Order: sequence, then structure tokens, then C-alpha cells
Amino acid sequence: MTYFEHLPFLENIPAYALGALDAKDAAALEAHLRTCASCRDELAAYRLTSDNLLMSLPPQQPSTALRQRLQRRLPSAQKAARPRLNWSFRRVAVGMAILLLLALNMFSILQVRALRSQQAQLMDQIQNGQLALVMLSYPHTQSFPIKAENVTGSLLLDKEYNNAVLILRGLPSIPEDQTYQVWLIAPNGERTSAGLLRPQTNLPFISEPVYSTQDLVNFVGVGMTVEPAGGSDHPTGQQIFRIDF
Amino acid sequence: MPEIDEDQLVKRVAQGDEHAFLTVYDCYVGRVHALTLRILGDPMLAEEATQDTFLKLWSRAYLYLAERGSLLIWLLTIARRTALDRLRLEGRRPTLSDSEDPDETLQSIPDRNSLSEEDRWQSMHFAIQALSPEQRQLIELAYYQGLSQSEIAEVLGWPLGTVKTRLRAAMERLRREWGPK
Repeated sequence: MTYFEHLPFLENIPAYALGALDAKDAAALEAHLRTCASCRDELAAYRLTSDNLLMSLPPQQPSTALRQRLQRRLPSAQKAARPRLNWSFRRVAVGMAILLLLALNMFSILQVRALRSQQAQLMDQIQNGQLALVMLSYPHTQSFPIKAENVTGSLLLDKEYNNAVLILRGLPSIPEDQTYQVWLIAPNGERTSAGLLRPQTNLPFISEPVYSTQDLVNFVGVGMTVEPAGGSDHPTGQQIFRIDF
Repeated sequence: MPEIDEDQLVKRVAQGDEHAFLTVYDCYVGRVHALTLRILGDPMLAEEATQDTFLKLWSRAYLYLAERGSLLIWLLTIARRTALDRLRLEGRRPTLSDSEDPDETLQSIPDRNSLSEEDRWQSMHFAIQALSPEQRQLIELAYYQGLSQSEIAEVLGWPLGTVKTRLRAAMERLRREWGPK
């Protein structure tokens, strides 16, 4: 290659050493440098100049905080900080575990209460069922069928032993602010409360004693109405059924 | 750091020796920060670029090859690229003032044949002062602002050929002024 062929490349070497050569010219020069030792030497000489440009400035100290920031980025500082993070995480984890245990305890207590309530209701039903069975075995027990809208069943009545049990099927569930109330009907039409009941949703039938402080012989019938929760002194709501005996 | 073997020091940094890393920092942070501050012109941005430069040293020390130049030159090269990248990211236009204040020219003229790092920067500083204001501006735009010749032509409103000629003349002058006698 002649001097004149080198010239365009030689002219670009100072700018290349400064990093100021445009991309297209830089690519051409780099291709030339791969095959031209003299141009590489020329570039090395200018590189020395440009490298020393880096050192032409008087030192300037940054703030002391920069050194501290850098130190915090080093592994030893991060290791020192990690236990605090772990401790913090551990505390959060322990707190969460305690909350979870408390929640589980509360849930268990509520479950036990619900189960006990269901157990008590089932025991009542069993006792009532046993009472009904005992009554059926007595020769003087009378059975009166109940056929009303949505409700069927029987009234078992033993006037000799002063016992009566209602066995009901299909009794509709009732809002929380209402209750079914059983009434004993006197010959003069007067009603005496004989108990409150609520149907159990998980049972196909309900058996409920008819409570009376008087002899049942003093009454001529049994009825049931819907009353406000807690019951009424006398019937005020919808009649469900009435049986005369 | 004449009393310290730079090659060994950087090898220790590459092996995760934090004390070695902070030794390099303490020795060279002034030079690195001077360069990033010169390029970015903003103390906060310059500190960020200086920090990034030393973090690159920490993570890439294994790339340093002593036979290709001094540790300081290597660090300053990283610092220049880091600061120029930040300058481009900020999208800032170069300022056209003559940032080499002649009043700051060093009072003493050092021995140019000395090979100590401390003398080299002083010698180069003096060489820059020997340039004309126009030549200093071209060097400033090319080297400290990272502009290409075409971009310099656009900024100054000069023909591209003029920029090429004057930039080449500035570099030749610097080479003559600073170069070994």
C-alpha cells in the first residue's frame, strides 16, 4: 500500500484515538488496522496521548458519604445486614404463626360449640323419640293423625300418665325472629302454652313433648301457631294445625 | 502507588479482598471523580458515575491486564465510558464554554520525561494549556463530551471537513507538546 493509500486512514487515526470518529469511518479504519502494522503503531502513539488526557485533570475528592455508600455495597456489609433482615423476617413469621394458631383455636372453639349444640339437640331428639316409643307401648296411648298444609305427623297422647308427644314431618324452617308455639286448648277455647320448637334442618322429622302443668284431661285439643321469637301469651300468628281429642 | 504492586492489588480485588478494593478507592477516587465531574458537570451525577466506576472495578477486576496499561488508566477509561453513558442517558447538550481556565494552569512545569503518575497528569495539563482555545474546545467536545466529528460539526456549525482538519491538528499539537522529547 502506498503512502497516498494510507493517507485517508492516517488522517482518521487522531479522531479514532479520541473516540470521535463517525461509525462508518471507524469501521473502515478498524478493518485497515487489522492488516497494517504501521497504522497500528501510529494509533498506539495517539492512544498514549488520549490516555494521558484522562489524567490531565487535577484530583477532586467526592463527599465522604460516597465511600460509605460503596462499603455498604460490599459483601461483608451485606452479610452484616442480612441477620437483621432474617431477624425481622423471623419475627414476622413468628407473629404470623401465632395469629394463625389463634385463628385455628377460635375456629376450633366455634366448631366444638356448634358440635355440642348439635349433640344436645340430637340427645333431645333421641330422648323424645324414646318417650314416643315408650308411649306407643302403653295400651292407653292414643294416636291422632296430623294433616295440614306442608306438615304431617301424629300426636301421641296418654291421659293416664299425663304424657303427650308431637311427631311432625315436613315442618318448614322458620326465620330467626319467629318460633313455632304449641298450645293446649281448654273446653272453653282458652289456650295454654305447651312449649316452643324450631325444626332441625338436618332431621327428617321432629318429636317434641307437649309440656303441661295441668292434667291433660282438662284439655280438648292441641294446636300450633307461628309466634315471635320467645313465644306469646296467647296465639297471635298463623295457625299450622289443630287437633281435637 | 509506587510502593504497591498494582497487579497484585487488583488480583486481590478480583478474589474479593475488600481491603484491597478500598485501598484502590482511596488512592484513585480523586482522579476518577475529577473526570466524571468534568464530563457530567453535576456533583451528584458525578458521584453516581464514580460509584458505578468502582463497582465495575469490584465486579470486573479479573478483566484487568497489567501489560495493557496502568490501573489508573484502566479505571479512568471505565470512568469516562460510564460518565459518557450517563451523559447520553440524560440527553444533555454539551456546553461550549472553555472549561480549561488558564488561571488554573499549574505554577510549576514538571519534568515531562518523568514516568511518575503524579507528574504525567501535570505534564498533560500543561500541554492542554498550550492549545488554542478553539483546539481545546474541540478536544473538550470530542473527549469529555463524547461527540463524534459529525456531531461536533453540527454543534459548532462548522463544515465536517473543517472539524476533521482542526481536530487532527489539535491532537498532533498535543502529541508534540506532551510526547517524549
